[in-house]
Amino acid sequence: MTSSDDAKQNSIEITRKELDQFPAPVLERYEVALEKLNGRLADETCQLWAQEGLEIASKTVRSWEAAAEFFDASVAVQRQLPSGQFLKWAKTGTSLCEDSPSLAVAYFKSSPNAMLRLRPRYIDDWANVCRALYRGTWKSSALACRLFEATPDLLETLSFEEFCHFGEFLEILSRRSYDQAGDALAAGIDLFPKITGDVDRFINLAQIVAEKSWRETAALFDSATASLVELGTPHRAPLISLARRLAITGVSDAAGVLRDGVNTVNRIPADKRDRLLEMTDGIAAVSAPAAPAFLKIVPEVLERVTFNQMGQWQTEGLRTARESEEAAIAYFKLESPASQEMLDSLSSSIELSRVRDVIQMYCLALTGRSIDVQAAAALAEKNIGWFHGELPTTEGTTIYMPSVINRYTTKDENFGHLKVISTHQIGHIEFGSFAFDFNIPSTLFDDLRPRLPGASELKAAKAADESAQKAAANPPQVVVFGHEPPAEPIQAAAEPVEVETREFLTDMSRFFDLFQERRLALDAFTVLESSRIDGHVEELYPGVMTMYDMVRTASLEARPDVTELPAREALVEFMIRVSLGQVDEMLVPSEHLDVARKLRKLIRQVTSVEAVVEDAAEAAIRAYSILIDVKNEEVDDDDFEQLEPEEEDASAEDEDDVVDPEEVIRQFMGQSSPDGEGEGEPEEGDSSEPDMDSEGEGEEDYSSPQEVDYRGEFKPELSQLLSQMQMMENGEMSESGEMEPITQEQLEEMMKNAPEMEMEQTEGEEGGDQEVSEMIENLLKELQKRDPENQHFQPGPSQHVDEDGGPLTATEPDTFTYPEWDFRANEYKPNWCMVHEKIMADGEPNFYRETLAENSGLVAQIKRQFELVIPEMYRKQKRLEDGEEYDLDSVLEALIDLKIGVSPEEKLYWRRNKNERSVAVAFLLDLSASTAEAIDEAKKPSDDWGAPDDPVEYMVWLRSRRSEGLRRTYKRIVDVEKEGITLLVNSLEAIGDMYGIYGFSGYGRENVEFYTIKDMDEKFSDMVPRRIDRIAPLHATRMGPAIRHTAAKLAEAEARSKFLFLISDGRPQDRGYSREGVEKEYAVHDTRQSLLEARNMGITPFCLTVDKAGHDYMKTMMEDFSYEVLPDISLLPKRLPQLYRNLTT
Amino acid sequence: MATEQKYHEQNIEDHYVTEEPFYVPTSDEIDIFESAYRQRVPILLKGPTGTGKTRFVEHMAWRLSEGITARNPGTAATNGAGEKLPLITVACHEDLTASDLVGRYLLDADGTRWIDGPLTRAVKAGGICYLDEIVEARKDTTVIIHPLTDHRRSLTIDKLGTTIEAADGFLLVVSYNPGYQNALKDLKHSTRQRFVALEFDFPEEEREAKIIAHESGCDSDTAERLARLGLKIRNLREHGLEEGASTRMLIYAGRLIKEGVSQRRACQVSVTWGITDDPQVQRSIDEVVTSIFA
Repeated sequence: MTSSDDAKQNSIEITRKELDQFPAPVLERYEVALEKLNGRLADETCQLWAQEGLEIASKTVRSWEAAAEFFDASVAVQRQLPSGQFLKWAKTGTSLCEDSPSLAVAYFKSSPNAMLRLRPRYIDDWANVCRALYRGTWKSSALACRLFEATPDLLETLSFEEFCHFGEFLEILSRRSYDQAGDALAAGIDLFPKITGDVDRFINLAQIVAEKSWRETAALFDSATASLVELGTPHRAPLISLARRLAITGVSDAAGVLRDGVNTVNRIPADKRDRLLEMTDGIAAVSAPAAPAFLKIVPEVLERVTFNQMGQWQTEGLRTARESEEAAIAYFKLESPASQEMLDSLSSSIELSRVRDVIQMYCLALTGRSIDVQAAAALAEKNIGWFHGELPTTEGTTIYMPSVINRYTTKDENFGHLKVISTHQIGHIEFGSFAFDFNIPSTLFDDLRPRLPGASELKAAKAADESAQKAAANPPQVVVFGHEPPAEPIQAAAEPVEVETREFLTDMSRFFDLFQERRLALDAFTVLESSRIDGHVEELYPGVMTMYDMVRTASLEARPDVTELPAREALVEFMIRVSLGQVDEMLVPSEHLDVARKLRKLIRQVTSVEAVVEDAAEAAIRAYSILIDVKNEEVDDDDFEQLEPEEEDASAEDEDDVVDPEEVIRQFMGQSSPDGEGEGEPEEGDSSEPDMDSEGEGEEDYSSPQEVDYRGEFKPELSQLLSQMQMMENGEMSESGEMEPITQEQLEEMMKNAPEMEMEQTEGEEGGDQEVSEMIENLLKELQKRDPENQHFQPGPSQHVDEDGGPLTATEPDTFTYPEWDFRANEYKPNWCMVHEKIMADGEPNFYRETLAENSGLVAQIKRQFELVIPEMYRKQKRLEDGEEYDLDSVLEALIDLKIGVSPEEKLYWRRNKNERSVAVAFLLDLSASTAEAIDEAKKPSDDWGAPDDPVEYMVWLRSRRSEGLRRTYKRIVDVEKEGITLLVNSLEAIGDMYGIYGFSGYGRENVEFYTIKDMDEKFSDMVPRRIDRIAPLHATRMGPAIRHTAAKLAEAEARSKFLFLISDGRPQDRGYSREGVEKEYAVHDTRQSLLEARNMGITPFCLTVDKAGHDYMKTMMEDFSYEVLPDISLLPKRLPQLYRNLTT
Repeated sequence: MATEQKYHEQNIEDHYVTEEPFYVPTSDEIDIFESAYRQRVPILLKGPTGTGKTRFVEHMAWRLSEGITARNPGTAATNGAGEKLPLITVACHEDLTASDLVGRYLLDADGTRWIDGPLTRAVKAGGICYLDEIVEARKDTTVIIHPLTDHRRSLTIDKLGTTIEAADGFLLVVSYNPGYQNALKDLKHSTRQRFVALEFDFPEEEREAKIIAHESGCDSDTAERLARLGLKIRNLREHGLEEGASTRMLIYAGRLIKEGVSQRRACQVSVTWGITDDPQVQRSIDEVVTSIFA
């Protein structure tokens, strides 16, 4: 042993001893490492190495862990580093340990793997990048550690330089939030490998985002992970650069830019993508905030126009952008009229939203009912039984249309298509598809409906039959199916009903209950009923027929090949083709030529203009009875044969029924025994439960035909249910009186049995039950919405005051008491209500200004109309044949004429216009809670712009934003009221009438809040727009006292004509004013009484309501007063000034 | 005279309805009118424009003319104006004053001259005085109308200081359009309660088709379609339209069609454009037209 060996041994011993002071793992690891390193390191180095370890261990109490890790990692690290670098590595660790042992631990731990990819000279930089994250807190140290740990992974894809940038980014972000930075780190590890090549660009973007609006980094990474990776490499870089440029100019929502950008780019053809990004760049150069809007809207725009047309649209938008940024944003969001118009003029497609009003009015004209027109997707979203978001349909009160029609090359044709499908859907309403009544006789057929047994009746009949057998006495009492004399079956069918009465929600349900194969029945009925509608349209609206035929021909072309279908389906398809007007080349299974002839005849019968829905139903029974006998088996192509044209069909002219009614009855009576052998011996045959599976060999399950797209989804049962509900609301259903409330069970029962629902259940097997119950719930909600009895009053924060309490006294200033009319007692309750008059708080004047600016067209129009009124007001009329006074000039002229001896002018008088305007009007706005309801689909809130970066400021900003509620992205009823008032105020100022604006709400009789927005004698000032701004929904609606108070104000005004203009959104309601049935009446009567009082004071009341259900109570409340129920609330701003003008001139 | 007289001129007292005006009754209005006339109870005709109020009055004037001669020869003998019942129609407008009805002094080269107004002439002649759209007239007209409508049956002319008792055949008939929620143009109760009121509305589809066919001379299919159009457009009342399409409009359309104007175009010019200025409503009506007419 050499001395150096000794020395070495010595130093090792010393080290050992010193290491022994620390917890055991330190020494253990040292030993392990030493053994391996001993030969590989120079002694000196080895010693330095050991000392380094010792130093680490002794740094702080916890640093022994770092030392242990150090020894652990040393072996692996040493293999990759020259000794000088190796010690440097160790030193770096030591200095990290000074900051925090856990940093050092992480450093050492990740070193072996990191060294694989890290050049030795970068070790220091690496440590510094990570260390920069450390700020002495636990969170910062955890983050720094994570970066150490992640380094090996990161370096797999990142260059060291990129790594440094990433570190910098994390550091910036970590100043705001360690959590966000941690998340970003994790996300980065995931993301970077997927976007190699663009990492640096992305990090750069992330860095800017972190600086400008750090909250969005998470979203940025999310959207990058979700979408950016889906984008092809060539377009990734430009898109990221674009987002970066936008981020620099202060446009937030880089995440959105990426997401929308990727979405958009992926949706357009590859050769157009570069051009698209160029276009976006072009916009960004002029107006950065408009660029994201553009990216987002492109897919929507491309649904309407071609790519090149979009170019024109974009160019036009750029012109706008140069003028104003706001305008540019609106333009590219497709929110400005100019933009819409531009697009419209470029495109040949028809957008429902653009022509909705026209179609709606068209529907109103045709049916005489206010039919709403909606996008089909809206109905599917409701999830109440309709599933297609594309096909036109109706549920009896609204027609649903595809939102865009782009089938043809010209606008006219596309509109024509829309008109065709609307006309067909309206046809269902106009020609009474949903007014089906089981008991109304058909006009063309012998009625079978009352003679057929329902499925449940069959069951009941069986029971009766058995008991009858037991009695075994009375032959006519034995219900022998099908053997009853023709006149009797009604009785036979009627009797069992007493045994088990089954209630049907609708007549349609009762009708479909007649069938075993409900779906077949529905399909048959659908074809026949649609044919009937088409027949009516053809007769009554020949003007649309050219287009109608075109649409039908197009539908025919889209039909499936008959020869591919099994026999029964082929025959149903045959019916559809006949109904669509096909006459030639009608292929039919040879075996069933006769069946086809009969079906064809049925369709022709219901197509006549005399046919009613009950005829379609009878025809459906017949079609069903024919079809059910056809086995649904495969038919060879060769076994199809062409049916001769109708002219050659000898039976076509036959007056006879296509089927023998008696035969049908026999068949239906026996339908629970599908093998048909039961005929004649029903006692045996019908003992089995209805069994659908016992179809013959080789038979296929029947499936419904493909929908005819212009006819859309036809759901007679549901539609009947929904439209009945609506009619009740409108007071059209008087005969049956009050309908029992519908229960969930009843609905379930109906849904279970409804053939229109069956198809869905088979499609989505799993979770079907849940889906159905969800649907039922939605349906129930929908029904409640339509049922006026279920309109709930939302109570405000109510102080309890006994409703039976006595009169109130007004003690405070600005409080007034008014009596209330009790119609039950037929007398006033004296001083029953207390009105608190307040001046509306001040808001911002912006609303007023913006409203006027947005509606500048309308403003000008109203102004013009109002100006026509003005001249009459002050005019002194001269040269009249008769009047108050001689006009001196005229008299002189006349005298001169007389002297000369010519006939003088006879018009010598003047007169002040007797119609001199002297009008005072008070507007009373309903500020009840219900005016908070949104009037249209809420648009997604997208404007987080302008959110301050500083957390404290952010909170302040957020709070103010919430409290103001200014940036609400949807419109409420009250907003429209405000708009209307704004426009009106503007015009009233022009006309010079005396006017006041008031709002009212409150809770309970002692708290009727009465807000003054502008008092009668107040001059218009800046305050008025500010107060208008603050109009907002409050509590309940106690109309009576508010009207009385307004009337009192009007009574003081000096004017010849006085008007009280009430604008409300619903019936009067308040605690103790409207709750139960009687109270509801109470409210209506009190309101009426208050209006009568006003009239006695010489005031003309007028009520404008936006409550669609308004007609019922308005009739009572406003009996001989004028009122108007607005069919569409958005009309209010336009209508209000019009009404005002009509009313007062 | 060199120029041939191409027009027919007569004094308003001499205006009789000599040929039966075409009128299809809705219910018992003819009977009521006759009874009211026999009892000299003034009549108020209510209803939207173009529902046949004027035509009805003409028809009744004709009918009563015939009736008077046929049934009550005695009455006819005492009626100084002759055997027939004159019909004097005044269309009221917002500048129509009491003196326009009663009469006024006119200046001419020789001084002043009193001229009877149409109402005075009707009172003197004992005819039916029909004040169309009475609400349009100035309020001072009501003052002179009132004494004519009750037991007094007299007309006071304050400028002359005279009172005229109405001739036996005189009857006041007024019409008004309850119209569209116009508070200032409502008929006062003190006025309206002096009349028996007959309500007019658009005839039902079938009857309207008959009327259109008769009046315009178009074929029955076109008439039916026009009637359907009328019905559909009336559905828009109070939803964008202030008044429904009048039968008159439809008749005009029918006449144009008879002249060879295409159906759609005829409806457009006589119905769509006439009824509203709102482009959107026009568009909607146009769609209805193009649905009904090929």
